[in-house]
Amino acid sequence: MLLEVSTLAAGYLGQTVVQGVNLEVSPGEVVAIIGSNGAGKTTLMRAIAGLLRPMAGRVSLAGRDMTRWPAHRVAGAGVAYVPAERHLFPAMTVKTNLVLGAYPHRPQREALELVFEIFPALKPRLQQRAGTLSGGQQQMVAVGRALVAQPRLLMLDEPSTGLAPKLAKDAFEALGSLKGRGMTLLVAEQQVPLALSVADRGYVLENGRITLEGTPHELDRNPEVRRAYLGVA
Amino acid sequence: MKAVILDGIILGLGFGLLGVGMTLVYGLGGVLNLAYGEFAVLAAIVVAQAISGGMPTVLAAVLGILAAATAGVLLDLSLMRPVYRQSTGHRVLLGLMLTLGLAFVIEGVLTWRDPLGGLTISIGGKPISILGVPIAVGSVWAALITLAVGVVLLVFFAATTFGRGVRSVIQDELGARLVGISPSLVRTVIFGLSGALAGLVAVTQSMTSPLTVSGGFNLTVYALIVSVVGGLGSVAGAFLAGILLGIVDDVSARYIGSYISDIVLLGAAALTILVRPRGLFGS
Amino acid sequence: MTGGRLPARLGNLVPVARGRAFLPILAAGVLVLVVPQVWFADSEYTTSLAVQALAFAGYAVGFNLIFGTTNQLFLCVGALAGIGAYGTGILSNHASLPIWVGIVAGTIVAAAVGGLMSWVAVRRSLGVIFTGVLTLAFSFAFQDLLFGQQHLTGGSTGQTLTAAAASLADNQIGGYYLFGAVVIGFLIIFRLLQISHFGWAFRALRDDELAAELAGVNVARYRICAAVIGSAMIGLTGGLYAYSEGFISPPTFAFDQVDVTVLVLVAFGGLGTLLGPLIAAVVFAFVDNALVNSGQLRELIYGAIIVVIFLGFRRGVPQTLGAIVRRFIPHDKVGTRWRLPLSVRQRERS
Ligand SMILES: Nc1ncnc2c1ncn2[C@@H]1O[C@H](COP(=O)(O)OP(=O)(O)OP(=O)(O)O)[C@@H](O)[C@H]1O
Ligand SMILES: [Mg+2]
Repeated sequence: MLLEVSTLAAGYLGQTVVQGVNLEVSPGEVVAIIGSNGAGKTTLMRAIAGLLRPMAGRVSLAGRDMTRWPAHRVAGAGVAYVPAERHLFPAMTVKTNLVLGAYPHRPQREALELVFEIFPALKPRLQQRAGTLSGGQQQMVAVGRALVAQPRLLMLDEPSTGLAPKLAKDAFEALGSLKGRGMTLLVAEQQVPLALSVADRGYVLENGRITLEGTPHELDRNPEVRRAYLGVA
Repeated sequence: MKAVILDGIILGLGFGLLGVGMTLVYGLGGVLNLAYGEFAVLAAIVVAQAISGGMPTVLAAVLGILAAATAGVLLDLSLMRPVYRQSTGHRVLLGLMLTLGLAFVIEGVLTWRDPLGGLTISIGGKPISILGVPIAVGSVWAALITLAVGVVLLVFFAATTFGRGVRSVIQDELGARLVGISPSLVRTVIFGLSGALAGLVAVTQSMTSPLTVSGGFNLTVYALIVSVVGGLGSVAGAFLAGILLGIVDDVSARYIGSYISDIVLLGAAALTILVRPRGLFGS
Repeated sequence: MTGGRLPARLGNLVPVARGRAFLPILAAGVLVLVVPQVWFADSEYTTSLAVQALAFAGYAVGFNLIFGTTNQLFLCVGALAGIGAYGTGILSNHASLPIWVGIVAGTIVAAAVGGLMSWVAVRRSLGVIFTGVLTLAFSFAFQDLLFGQQHLTGGSTGQTLTAAAASLADNQIGGYYLFGAVVIGFLIIFRLLQISHFGWAFRALRDDELAAELAGVNVARYRICAAVIGSAMIGLTGGLYAYSEGFISPPTFAFDQVDVTVLVLVAFGGLGTLLGPLIAAVVFAFVDNALVNSGQLRELIYGAIIVVIFLGFRRGVPQTLGAIVRRFIPHDKVGTRWRLPLSVRQRERS
């Protein structure tokens, strides 16, 4: 198991938002976390990434406990997290943003090549300041920056945020091609059909608890999921 | 006129270096270190004591700079810890107050132990002619050292991995954490660098005019002015602002009156805050 | 008054019956009146210490109104006081006007300058840092001006107020009662503001500025009002100080003399509290007296006090001590007799 989360609880200022979460991701797998607004997807991701200190439970990477590690250590261990707000370095060029992804090392050539292969639109903009890019381009830089680190696990929070339907579809196609290269992905997404289109497995998060787990096929057929997330009466 | 401007540039290089130490610490989390100038005075006293104890000047200067750097690191490891645990809004005030208190503690200790203390490093020799303007040897040395350190700093922040890491924390702390940078480690290093810069300014300044125990807070105010005019958080901005203000200071001192020049500098800072809060050279 | 009608939620925040609101001030007033009779009226030295303490209490109440209630970091208390003092000195020495004209003019100019700075800060929405740097720059520029304009100010030698009241300078007890009355007056104004519209707005503003604005509080107006009134208090105190001392010089109004002390007082007494600054001024009169022979150690100790207060007693020392006491005394015994000042209780609730 690459990522193993057991009975995790996390929240803000003593208030629990997610609790009792058990979740696993094996190497090479694409796992989706779906749930409505405020279900706790972001909170769960932040707790795994070390941005939020878990209140209880355990997070481990390839068997190594990393429950209370600070975010920079989690990142150093090979977990790259792309938050929905992206958090690029706005006054730096696209190139510097990408290069910083490999911190503290120099970026590997293959890693950069992979980024340009998946996001060819970035290549002509290497010298542009990240803050001046469009939302969709910023999303590409954010994912690209994470890829440059050659992570063992790539976590994405709502990669479709702020993207037009066509672009959101493109983004998930890009994720699909990453999957084809053996990348392990954990994706939180509200747009369930998109999420299920690339996922090997999915978890449904409701009010901070995991209520369902299964393959896209199983989830797709589940009447609860159909009513709540797929807009099917 | 040429002489005034050249003098102004030499003065301004020192201002710039002073501003860099202030601006970096501010950029890394919103703390204006009001004890900054006291670090310079601390270094000056250490150097003066070491020299009077028979140590060679260069060695004494290194010792003084190290002392100020240590003070910076200690400040970060002690008083700054609770500050950085606060949310941004409360951070600002707590940082101002704690460093202000520390400034008074350091100044109190230094004036208590050594009330007449101060540092003058005199470098003999005939004035050197630059562009036809005779300039004291001490000033030339001070300007060269400052220029060299300035270039090193600019290269460091533009082209090294750690330097880029520092800038990334300034621009987006959370983003920096996500790529594996530890903001608290960066802060500790930069507090040390900031102390070292204060110490270096103490050394270079004392080559042209004496630096006394009571001069600390004035240095802090100069550093504040320079970093505000240059844009808080910007290294290159601090240098440019320093040189600009140095020229303005020298010109107004020469042609209007010496007490006016300080008022002009303070006015420049106030005007910058009002017209371009992000600084003349900020983005 | 059109500050926008305050919503009911804010209106509910006024808990103390209006009459009772002035009890602490009455008590302080009686103390100020009685203490010299039983204690120090015969010693000129102690009396002058008491005058000094009250003058600083005056500065601190003004600063507390500006910073403690509306969060504007004015690092120019010394300069505003200097405006009052030098206004008084210059008008009476150079224009031979009656001394009270100088005091009134100095107060008005200080109020105008404070108001102008607040207006600028509000208009440009400067945060705490930029307001602090702006006012600090003003402080230092004002000092330079005092040294530079020798023909008006006397430069570093200072100036003697030829028209100052001999009775006040010789017999300090008159000065004591004058400053006592002024400080009590300031406290009454402070309290009146607290229980009026302003008080609601101030508290809302301190708790959460954005929420206050959304609730219809005209943040800008309250800020500027507080700055004008507080600066007038500081300027008036400075003018009266010049009048009672009969001599002024730049160091009396320097940043490290006035502003640092005032910060210590307000931090020690509790930001935004009514009596905090006065209590702190009295406590520090004793501290200062004890330190009078330790020269530079005074500076060190003041610095250490600032650090300790901001690390451990952010609500003010009396409040923190009170909270500790209450933890050890069963609640029902404390009852209502141990009520804390209005604003502190408000803050505890949030
Ligand atoms: N910084 C915070 N402080 C306090 N509560 C928070 C904070 N961030 C989120 N919450 C609360 O935690 C709950 C879960 O929020 P979270 O952002 O994890 O949901 P989400 O599933 O990511 O929703 P969305 O799909 O809208 O992004 C919400 O009720 C939210 O109000
Ligand atoms: Mg979310």
